[in-house]
Amino acid sequence: MTDLPGYPSRRNFLKASAAGVALSGLAAQAKAQETTPPVPLEDYDRAYLNADEWAFVMAATARLIPSEGDGPGAIETRVPVFIDLQLAGDYGSADDWYMEGPHVPDAEPARGWQTPLNPAEIYRKAIPVFNAWCEQTHGAAFAELEAETQDAALTALQDGDVALDPEIRDFFSILLANTKEGYFADPQYGGNHEMQSWVYIGFPGARAAYRAWPERHNEKYPLGPVSISGERA
Amino acid sequence: MKTFLRILAGLVIIGVVALLAFIFVPVQRTEPAQALAADWEPAEGQGEYVLDAADCVACHTSDDGERLAGGRAIASPMGTIWSTNITPDPETGIGEWSYADFRAAMVDGLEPDGTHLYPAMPYENYRLMSEEDIRALYDYLMTEVEPVSNEVQETELSFPFNLRFGIRAWNWLALTHGPGFTPADVPELQQRGQYLVEGPGHCAACHSPRSKFMSQDGVTADEENFLAGGVIDGWNAPALRGEGSDLAKWSVGEVAAYLATGRNAHSTANGEMGLVVEHSLQKLTDEDVLAMAAFLKGVDGDAVDLPESFAAAGPTSLEAAEADETGSATAEMLASADPDMPLGARLYMDNCIGCHFATGKGAPEMFPELQGNSMVVGSETMPLISVILNGVEVPSTAKRPMSLRMQGYGERLSDDEVAELVTWLRGAWGNDAPAVSPADVAKVREAGEAH
Repeated sequence: MTDLPGYPSRRNFLKASAAGVALSGLAAQAKAQETTPPVPLEDYDRAYLNADEWAFVMAATARLIPSEGDGPGAIETRVPVFIDLQLAGDYGSADDWYMEGPHVPDAEPARGWQTPLNPAEIYRKAIPVFNAWCEQTHGAAFAELEAETQDAALTALQDGDVALDPEIRDFFSILLANTKEGYFADPQYGGNHEMQSWVYIGFPGARAAYRAWPERHNEKYPLGPVSISGERA
Repeated sequence: MKTFLRILAGLVIIGVVALLAFIFVPVQRTEPAQALAADWEPAEGQGEYVLDAADCVACHTSDDGERLAGGRAIASPMGTIWSTNITPDPETGIGEWSYADFRAAMVDGLEPDGTHLYPAMPYENYRLMSEEDIRALYDYLMTEVEPVSNEVQETELSFPFNLRFGIRAWNWLALTHGPGFTPADVPELQQRGQYLVEGPGHCAACHSPRSKFMSQDGVTADEENFLAGGVIDGWNAPALRGEGSDLAKWSVGEVAAYLATGRNAHSTANGEMGLVVEHSLQKLTDEDVLAMAAFLKGVDGDAVDLPESFAAAGPTSLEAAEADETGSATAEMLASADPDMPLGARLYMDNCIGCHFATGKGAPEMFPELQGNSMVVGSETMPLISVILNGVEVPSTAKRPMSLRMQGYGERLSDDEVAELVTWLRGAWGNDAPAVSPADVAKVREAGEAH
């Protein structure tokens, strides 16, 4: 994305919000509940993904929303857990989608989901293909590569430079979308751990009551977020 | 010495005879103050109307049972009392009862064989009802209600409450009034209200305090503690009179709207009162509801301003109230969204403010005001805790068909958090009631849905 001169870029906007949150966030954190720390990602009991797939999802999401730099990354917010749970659930099996034929996997992208595979099947089929491409091109499976090489590999995947069958051609955009969802969705779905992404962007969560605020222009809303299950940050 | 023994023996004999007489000599039934003419007949619908006004269904119908066939468990401090079958079934109901038998139950708390009814049956109040109304009710039960064969569970209280003859002595203390109704020196409409409140409505059964003998302390309007507030089964039945009572702050129209629809500009009826509205009050005529409201507002002798109408039909736009002087500090603190606010306030922000607002005023006819709310600041904290944990429903009524449902927050809030929230609510907007502990909350959570 190109930033237009004179317009605040998304990144700068996020930075500005984060600075404000850093101040108020500290005070609010003091009132957060004491929670038992979750299972470390290495010991996480996977619901759908196998060991190789888990290693890939961990490595790939860590590059899509990295931990270095501003704000929390996909790993601290436990995005891989979100993806694993989603693939094990209704989303993974496309339970409430129309999945009958005719399927035209190579149809124009504007025609929507045309592959006969559900999202869980796409992950299962695409990850080995992409790992094989990584071995062939860079000499190791994706998770084993250096960060810079991983970025290059993901860029190739995004640009269509990795040969994928039409049934799985949308793998990168699905992975990217799921990563963002896991980062910003309510923590009850396994990601956005401790609402870190909400704190980072200044989103107050599921409070749904701001009657005193609509006319208070250019004033920062100071209170930290609340999740659907009542978690505070 | 001999003389002394003789006197002692005499006293023992007198005592034994008196006790036997107390137990076995039948209780005299109270005679009607005025006998009805031999050809008297109730007006069309009168009996069913009396049944509704007296809320017989509330106790004499079990949750999944046939109407008026009894079997409902009534919790009392002495144990569970099972309500009886009052359909005209000859074996299990009251099919064999004469009018005199029925009248004795309503006025003296006696079964046909002279057994005392437990005063869970509010004959303390029903004895104030007019002869016409008791007779109309009898005729309705006998001729218009279908007999239902339903043998209800025997009430078995523990000793000494299982000795029903003891109620005879209790009645000497409790039945110092009536039978029959004595109107106060107020306009006719208020007299009608007084009759409905004192007699069939038996409001004093909950809203008057209890004496140390557990009888109603204040059955009629001339008594000092009449409707001065009571505690029933862990609920505050709030005072309906006096400074600081809800009714002192409500207009006659608002009281009438509350009775007829279970909601008004300030509050909503839930728990036991919700049932009273659902089964009884919403079925009364507008004039009778207004009469009750007018009587209640005037019970301390204040002037009564009658509204032209109440709970009007058609679309209405009701503005949510702004914070008042007492509540403004709390309202401003909440509106500031200050991260340093106390945890109780933070929990209110995260869970409650969407409906009850920063003002604590709620929304008229939808979400009750929490400032000064008798349930929020009551001596009994179980109802408020239960509402937060389990949610609550305001019944659908004829004039306001939308039932109002508050969700429960039991899964979202821990015992510690509910205690923080409740304690904060009891001190917010000028409320001033003591704190509750997590243990109080745990008790209510264990009891499950309490209403």
